[in-house]
Parts: sequence; C-alpha cells; structure tokens
Amino acid sequence: MGRILIVDDAAAIRQVVNHVLTSQGHQVTEAVDGLDGLSKLSGDGFDLIVCDVNMPNMDGIQFLKTVKTDKEYASYRFTPFVMLTTESNDKMKAAGKEAGAKAWLIKPFQPNALLDAVKKLI
Amino acid sequence: MSGGNFDLSDAVQTFFIESSEKLDEIDSCLLRLEKDSEDYESINELFRAVHTIKGSSGMFGFDNIEEFTHVVENILDRVRNKECPLDHDLISLLFECRDCIKDLVDIYEEDGGVLNADLESEKNNLTRELNKYLNNEMRTASENKPAENKNENILVEGESNVSENENWHISLRFDPDIFKHGFDPFSFISYLNEIGEIVAIRTIDENIPSDDEMDPEKCYLGFEITFKGNVKKETIEDVFDFIIDDCQLRIIPPRSAINDYLDLIKDLPESSMQLGELLVSIGSLTRSELEEALRKQNEQSGDTGTQEKKHIGDIIIEENMVSREILDAALERQQTFKKIDIVKKNLIKINADKVDNLINLVGELIITGSNIKQLSEKNHDDVLSDSVITMTRLIEDIRDSTMNIRMVPIGETFRKFERTVRDLSRENGKDVELVINGGDTELDKSLIDKLSDPLMHLVRNAVDHGIDTPEERLKKGKNKKGTVYLNAYYETGNIVIEIEDDGNGLNRDKIYKKALSSGLIQENSAISDSDLYQFIFEPGFSTAEKITNISGRGVGMDVVRKNIEALRGTIFLDSDAGEGTLVRIYLPLTLAIIDGFLVQVAGSYYVIPLDMVLECSEVSKKEVEGSDFIDLRGELLPFIRLRQYFNVTGELPEKENVVVVEYAQKMIGIVIDKPVGELKTVIKPLGKVFRNLKWISGGTILGSGAVALILDIQNLIQTVEKSSSTVRPKEAAVKK
Repeated sequence: MGRILIVDDAAAIRQVVNHVLTSQGHQVTEAVDGLDGLSKLSGDGFDLIVCDVNMPNMDGIQFLKTVKTDKEYASYRFTPFVMLTTESNDKMKAAGKEAGAKAWLIKPFQPNALLDAVKKLI
Repeated sequence: MSGGNFDLSDAVQTFFIESSEKLDEIDSCLLRLEKDSEDYESINELFRAVHTIKGSSGMFGFDNIEEFTHVVENILDRVRNKECPLDHDLISLLFECRDCIKDLVDIYEEDGGVLNADLESEKNNLTRELNKYLNNEMRTASENKPAENKNENILVEGESNVSENENWHISLRFDPDIFKHGFDPFSFISYLNEIGEIVAIRTIDENIPSDDEMDPEKCYLGFEITFKGNVKKETIEDVFDFIIDDCQLRIIPPRSAINDYLDLIKDLPESSMQLGELLVSIGSLTRSELEEALRKQNEQSGDTGTQEKKHIGDIIIEENMVSREILDAALERQQTFKKIDIVKKNLIKINADKVDNLINLVGELIITGSNIKQLSEKNHDDVLSDSVITMTRLIEDIRDSTMNIRMVPIGETFRKFERTVRDLSRENGKDVELVINGGDTELDKSLIDKLSDPLMHLVRNAVDHGIDTPEERLKKGKNKKGTVYLNAYYETGNIVIEIEDDGNGLNRDKIYKKALSSGLIQENSAISDSDLYQFIFEPGFSTAEKITNISGRGVGMDVVRKNIEALRGTIFLDSDAGEGTLVRIYLPLTLAIIDGFLVQVAGSYYVIPLDMVLECSEVSKKEVEGSDFIDLRGELLPFIRLRQYFNVTGELPEKENVVVVEYAQKMIGIVIDKPVGELKTVIKPLGKVFRNLKWISGGTILGSGAVALILDIQNLIQTVEKSSSTVRPKEAAVKK
C-alpha cells in the first residue's frame, strides 16, 4: 500500500479521495494548493501524487513542473502524478504530459477509476 | 450518488459547508467587481469559486448544480480571457446566478434535490440569459476582430511602440500655433545634441495643407527623431519642458531601457501602489504623462456620460506612453501586492459540539478550582497557597482562551448586508451606502447566528423606510447618497450593535395617532418621544401607508425584539425627525461563563454579573425604610430589596448594603445583607420547572458546594422601571 498526497483546493474532493484511498489501506496526506503541496513534500515522501489543475496560489501544472524540475524536489522526479480536471482540454493535457503527468481523471470521476489508476501506478 | 460502494456522506456535508463559503466569496467578489470591473484578482477568485462548486457537485451527482454552474463558468471564462466585457448588466445577472446556485445547493441539502417549479424555471431563465450573453458576445467578439487587426497595423506603421534598436525614439507633433507663442521648435531639437546624439530625423509633412489654405505663420511639421544617449526618460522630456503644452511628445525607450524597467519593477518594495505611481517610480512614465493620462481618463468618462472609467493602463497604452510589455509586468507586480495584502486565513474546522463540551469541562474545572482555593485557605499552608494561586491563574487563562474559540468577528455578518443594501437601493431607486464600523468586534458564534435575521430586518427597514429618495434628500440639502451605518462596540460588559441611517427619521405624529387608535396610550397623556418610539416594537404596529414587498406589514419589529430578548439582549430606538433613526441593541458578552459579584441575603447566595456592578456601599435602616429611593451623593436612585422580591424571611442585619447596577445606561440599587466577593462562575441553566422564573437567569455551584442564583439584572431594572417611571438614565441617551 502506498503513501499518497492529494492536492486540491476543494475540501469535498479531498475528502472523497482521502476516503476512497484510505479504505484501500493507503496512507493519505492532504494539501490545499500547489504551494501547500510543495511544503508537504519536505516530509516523509510519497509514492503517488493526485493533483487538481485549477487551484489558487499555485496551479496543478505549475506544481507538477516545479516538482519535476526543481533540484530541491529531486527525490520526487519519478513520482507518478495523477491529474484531476473538469474538462479534457487537449492543450492542458499536452502541457501536463510534457511536464510528466502519468494519468488524467476527469471530474466527476468514479471512485473505482481512481483506484484503477492508483493500482497501475504503484 | 456516484460513490458506488463508498460512503461519502461526510464528504457531502463538507461540500455543503464549502459551497456556502464559496457563495459568500462569490458575493464579495461581485461587490468588488461592481466597483472596479478590471480587478483581475477578483475575476480569478470568482471563477475559481464557481469552478470548485461545479467540480465538487459533479462528484456527488448533483446534476442540476453542475449543469448550471457549468454555464456560469463558461461566461466567467470568457470574461477572464477578456472576450466578454464585464458590464453592470452582466454583474447583476451574475448576482442572480449566485442566488440561484445557493437555492440549488439548499435544495440538495434539505430536500434531496427535487426542484420545485419555481426554481426550475428560474434556473432555465437564467441559463437562457447567460446563453444569450455567450452567443451575443461571440458575435461582437468576432466583429471586433478585424478592428483589432487594423489597430495592430497602425502600430506597425508607427514603428511599433518598442524601439527595436539601442536608440531612443522621440516622436514630436507641434501645435500649429507654436510660432505665435514665440517658440522655435528647431532650437529644442538641436538642444538634444547637448545631452546625446541625434542619429536620424524624419520629417512628417503629411499635415501640410494645399497652397491656398497654407498659413505661413503656422507650424504643420512633425518630427520622428532617433536619438542616442545614456539618459533618463525624464531628462529627454525636460528638454521640451517649455513647449510641453504646445506639442505632442512621445518618448519610446530603447530595448535595453525596457529591460532596465522590467528589472526595476521586480525590485520594487512590497507595498501596494497605484498603477500610475508604480510606472512613475521606475521612471518609465513621467509625471506629466501620468497627469495627461488621468485627465484623458476623466474627459472620456465625462464624454460618454457613463460611470465606468476606462482603465488607466489602457489609456497609457493607447497614447503610446509605455510599452505593453512594461505595463503587463507592472500589472502583474501590482496583483502580487494585492495577494500579499489579503490576509491568509489559516483555519481549522471543528464540530461545535466539541467546543461546547470543552466549555462545559472548563466550567467544572473553575468550580473545582475555587473549591481547592477555599480548602487551601483553611489550611494556612503557604506553599500550597502559592501553587493554588498559580493554578487559579492558569484556569482563568484556559477559560479565556476557551471562550475565545467561540468568538468570531461580526464583520463577516455585517458585510453580508452590503449585498442587501445594494439590491434594495436599486429596487427603490435610492442611492445608499453601507458603512461598517467595528467589524472586528468579536461575539459568541451562536449569538451571531441568531442575530443575522433581526439585523437583516433592521437594515432592510433602514433602506426601505429610513433613507429618503434622492430628490427629497437634495431638497433638504442633504447629500444625494444616503448612508446606513452598522456599528459594533463593547460597553460595560455588553456588546452594542447599532443600525443608524441618515434618512427621514420617525414621524412622531403618525406614531402618536397610531398608538392612540390602538389603545396603547390615552388621549392627552404626556409621553416622551423615546417612550413613544418604543411602540414600534409592539405586534401589529405599522404606520406605513404603502406596503412594499419588504416591510410595512407590521410584523417584523416585534419579532426583532423577541429575537433579541431571547438572547438576553435589549433593543432601543431613537430618532430625530428629518435627521435619521438609530436602533441600538445591547447583548451580553458571552452566554456561558461570567465574572460575578457574590452577595448574601438571609443566608442564601446570589450572583450579580460583575460587569454591571458600579459600586457597593453600606446603608442604614433609616435610609431604606418606607421609601423607594435612596440618596446617592445627592441624586435619587430607585432601589429594590431582594428580601421583599424573593420573600425571604430571617433576621435583618445591623447594616444593610446597596449594590448599584447599571444596564443599558439605566441604574438601580439592589439592597442586600452583605457582599461576599468576586468570583468566576459558570452559568448553569435552571431546570425546566424554574425556567420561567423572573429575575433569575441561572444558577451556579460555589466552591463550598452551595448553590447561588444568578440575578437577571436586565429584567429587574425593567420591573422597577414599570413600577416607577423615574429610573435614572446614566447620561444623555444617545451618544453619536
């Protein structure tokens, strides 16, 4: 079972993800936006990061890019990212893919779809 | 619910709480945007709030919310991308949409999401309106496109607004009358060689008219000068200082200077600045250019007669004063300042039950604490006493911090009324501003929740009945814009909330007649204005000639008073004809723990809330026998004897004591046997059987285990007031 970070500014979504993943025995940490997410990274380390795209302060793409490129987060260079978004925007997807996102989930997603993605990645 | 085999009910609750927060955010964003439709940060915040509701509602299968917010989000996306102007109509429409989203969320929270016909049609109507906007705007946007391209062409022709090489570009157009004013343009141009080097001059002669119209005394020429020199923009402008009013001067910096400006913007100190000031401070815009831009801004808004001013940034760009690159950097910088200015809320959410439980425990701790204190005093053990004193102090700190958890500033509640005032004043064709004072005054959360409705009613009254129409106001020589004040402050252990308007005031004659016809007063009875005005709070008392959809039905003010009294508060009203009306609400500071003054009457203990106690002194039998008043340093003070009020028998002590108490600026004396001292006490509500007791608001357990009753001073004063009409007001009734 893995340690997973969920980054989303919507508390309800965080709670759903947390609930669904915890029920499968994962250890879940929550962050409210990209900046908060970065601060959480200094801790124990995660096997997977689930991340919303549209957030205040630092959006998901920026967060993803920072984690993948900044030296400070070198230990997360290969940590898989699952991006959450409300619409499948090709441009956004391309930007995310380029930055290293491994999977996309379109909100609203089925809890099982999230679990499938997580299973494939860790 | 799309949750499958997962129980998401907790998350659903979170969604409802989160949505109501987001709805508040939407409200305040829209209010900000109404004042400044260019406020990018608010547009973004607005978009995100709607976006969050949309994303989450989809997760829980709340299709109606998702569907509707999706349309709203689309519009906001266009606004954000500047494809659709955010005008007043659109803001009003968005306000309605916000209300509709709220109704939809409420329906899912309360009735499981079955839409009634009204809401269904409301939602459909708004969707139609929004779609109209989407389609319309798309058309106008595409119509605008060719025009935009044309603009770009013009810019290219004018050598673009960034000088591509390392030279300055100076563009000069002279006033035709410049010769008559005694200036020779040539001298200014040649002076440029003193501070640098003129690389090239191109003469613009397109303004020269045909021969027969040509006036040799007029200047028709313009010059485009390429200038090399390591100088400031200001220095170049200074060259033309004398003729600045007789020519059009544009100075375009070289590429390297632009980079310098960009660096300067990055290095600015972290404080909010107006855009113009910011550009001046880095030297990219000169002060006179800024003044010109501001003048143009005013002129243009005056021309079109609209209130919406063109953004200063757009003018600066249009006039070619600063390049777009620098402006964008400055705008971005400005927004980061704004972001820093918004205090980050660092909050955790706790179930209210948990806090209540904690407060109960702290209450028990206080009682046990005073028990231990008494025991240690009996033992005369100094070491023990020391630690007991430390413990007592710690317990007090714990009590204060615990009570503080429940305290929230009232400002948030006040600000909700901004929207109410805005909507109402529009509906009534009035111009009303809401001014909030003391928004940081903290109140018990449960008090605030219960205050919201009565306050709403009073604010509505103030706007609907209080404030007069703009025409009436002008006639009376008042400012056209009416003002409603919401004030909050502390006063002798109470919280005071005032709703004040500068409107028409109450009509004394009307109220008098109405009171007469309702049989509340006898004909020819003398009654003070302030007593008369209190009839407003009687059930069914309304003098409104026309019933509006807001107020005037005579229900309301009595409900307001009931609500306030249920919170152990009181409400007063004062008014000056033609000057305005003031409603003042007194509320107790907290609901659970108070500082008390312990007194004894015939062996039983009573507690008077310490905040209300002014003084305590001995009185002789002679002073209090056969009279309702005592002489307090030359002034008459009505008093009551607790012995009589509570029918306690028992031997009278040699000397009795009087405690002078004050509530809501009225004073009475309470005669007791002897004072015992101060104590911290937890109010325990009386059981059901005793709930209706007058004059007693609760009980408490003393350290010794004895029970003391807490006196309801407010009620006692009212009783005395009724029996004798001369309760002494503390000072002039209304402090402004």
